[in-house]
Amino acid sequence: MARVSLKGVVKRYGAATVIPRLDLDIEDREFVVLVGPSGCGKTTTLRMIAGLEPVSEGTIRIGDRDVTDLRPGLRNCSMVFQSYALYPHMTVRDNIGYGMRVRGESRARIESKIAEAARILGLEPYLDRRPKHLSGGQRQRVAIGRAIVRNPDVFLFDEPLSNLDAKLRIEMRTEIKNLHRRLESTVVYVTHDQVEAMTLADRVVVMNSGVIEQIADPITLYEKPANMFVAAFIGAPSMNFLAVRLTGDAVELADGTRLPVPQERAAALAGFNGRSVMLGLRPEHMAGGEKGPAVVTLVPRTIEPLGPHTLVIGELAGTRITAQVDARFPCRPDEPTRITFDMNQMHVFDRETGKTL
Amino acid sequence: MKRGAVFLLCLAWLFVTLFPIYWALVTSFKPPPAVNGGPTYLPWIDFQPTLQAWIDAFSGIRGDFVRPFVNSTLIGLSATVLAVAFGSMAAYALVRYTFRVRLLAGVLFALLGIGGFLLFRDLGLSRADSLGAAFVLALAASILANRLPLPGPVLGNNDVVFWFLSQRMFPPIVTAFALYLLYSEIGREGVKALDTFWGMTFCYTAFSLPIVVWLMRDFFQALPVEIEEAALVDDVPRIRIFLEIVVPMARPGIVATAMITLGFVWNEFLFALLLTTSDWQTLPIFLSGQNSYRGDEWWAISAAAMIAIAPMMVMAVLLARLMRSGLVLGGIR
Repeated sequence: MARVSLKGVVKRYGAATVIPRLDLDIEDREFVVLVGPSGCGKTTTLRMIAGLEPVSEGTIRIGDRDVTDLRPGLRNCSMVFQSYALYPHMTVRDNIGYGMRVRGESRARIESKIAEAARILGLEPYLDRRPKHLSGGQRQRVAIGRAIVRNPDVFLFDEPLSNLDAKLRIEMRTEIKNLHRRLESTVVYVTHDQVEAMTLADRVVVMNSGVIEQIADPITLYEKPANMFVAAFIGAPSMNFLAVRLTGDAVELADGTRLPVPQERAAALAGFNGRSVMLGLRPEHMAGGEKGPAVVTLVPRTIEPLGPHTLVIGELAGTRITAQVDARFPCRPDEPTRITFDMNQMHVFDRETGKTL
Repeated sequence: MKRGAVFLLCLAWLFVTLFPIYWALVTSFKPPPAVNGGPTYLPWIDFQPTLQAWIDAFSGIRGDFVRPFVNSTLIGLSATVLAVAFGSMAAYALVRYTFRVRLLAGVLFALLGIGGFLLFRDLGLSRADSLGAAFVLALAASILANRLPLPGPVLGNNDVVFWFLSQRMFPPIVTAFALYLLYSEIGREGVKALDTFWGMTFCYTAFSLPIVVWLMRDFFQALPVEIEEAALVDDVPRIRIFLEIVVPMARPGIVATAMITLGFVWNEFLFALLLTTSDWQTLPIFLSGQNSYRGDEWWAISAAAMIAIAPMMVMAVLLARLMRSGLVLGGIR
């Protein structure tokens, strides 16, 4: 088990720079998730740690070793791929044991490690089957089994659950989290699914076009996003953004609606008075009806009842807004309805830079 | 309606392909009058079949049949194994590694290779020695030169593949005479190459390689790279990845390629005609000899032809089965 640290890592493909300069420290036994939209460089970063992708500049250390120029096999990492990458012509037993056999470990040791992995992952009944006779979830377990028998310094997961159906994904998510607790290993996990990131991670690294936007634990990420990108990426449904003007104790919408700001927030934002800013408010921080001082009139276009609550999607001052209201809140499409904003939960961003003010 | 037309067309084509085989088969059982007195088609109706042609063939009165048969089998199998083994490795390398060959370095290789040979020979070295020395010199110099930032175009993997394929684009007769001269020169240096097992095997290996590389490259390209990456992360050496993971996955492709190569070598005529005389004569040469031996005895020639194509038919059936089971295995996801 070991720390992983990337210092000034740059990745270029020819003239195109995919990752401009990346610094990242992952603690021993930490579960870190790299998350971001496709093409943000998260998989490239993972592959650079694994050694499958050469680094253009900078250094990568695992534990106290500089592994920047080491070939993948010598880095003592285990990797689980999105496509499982099982050896199709080998049985489950051989798939798990192949690496150990190649490294020349004793037969008895290989057998006992396969048995242990099979017990942990519930693969005992399938040991003599070929991958093509397994379901997606079982295949993914075999891939994880192959990873754990190595006793690696670091586990690398590259979107391991993306090929599974929704129900299985949630099950495997829990299993991976339990596995991490049991093995007490360092994990770097790549996903594009923010829910997966939030549920699994000790710390989440949000990436966008090769740049780290924010590194924080899931709750901080949700409560104190560093900028608009993180704010929009984390949380479902996504945060609402409205262009507003700060006027001391209130914000003024484009249509003239004034929303009073609680005193302590107003005091913190006093320096920006008169400025035009972006107001961010999550759908779950809104409520149907008049339940506070900050109330707007929304014309619903679509109503999406989800069971526990209902989403009202409409337009406010020329911007699309999603509000979360009680399941039984009475509203109909095209009939103006009153929505209350919880201004204690508001986020304010700089309009040019997108940074949190 | 449309299906019916397609079915009829398929039937017609089946007839076109099967008829020559049928014709050779029935002819081999005909007595001479049934051949010479105009066409006859159906045994027992048009003519009374006889085993005479087959008895003649196996009793050896029409020349030694066994020898060319054994020759063809040995040369065909060896050349196929060598070509598929080396060709697959080359194709794999061309899929998984990036090659950058500077054109000037290639030109340098040619210049030093030819010039060096002439120079060493004039300096008094024997021809074999000067050839070897020039080759080593040219190879070392061009590898070093390839690392320099030379001007001019840089050739990539596709260019290398095209270069391989281009060997098969000119008519074989162009190389056949050159190869004959090369072999007789090698013979003069004391190593017999003409009319030997190794001479024929190397020649067929070299001429099968381009096709093998080209076909196998496609098969390897279709394999998912993650499986190999998983093995790389597990510290499996490249050669074991190739032999224990890639080759089993590409088995249907390898079987198909081997089949095509074997078919080519088995039927090859021109090189065998020029490069063999007696000891290592192959079946096609022997068959064509049948005609000039004793005149147009078609019943005997047909029997010989049937014997010549029988092994390929057996191979096709066996390998087709291997290919099918391999294709099922190919279901990776």
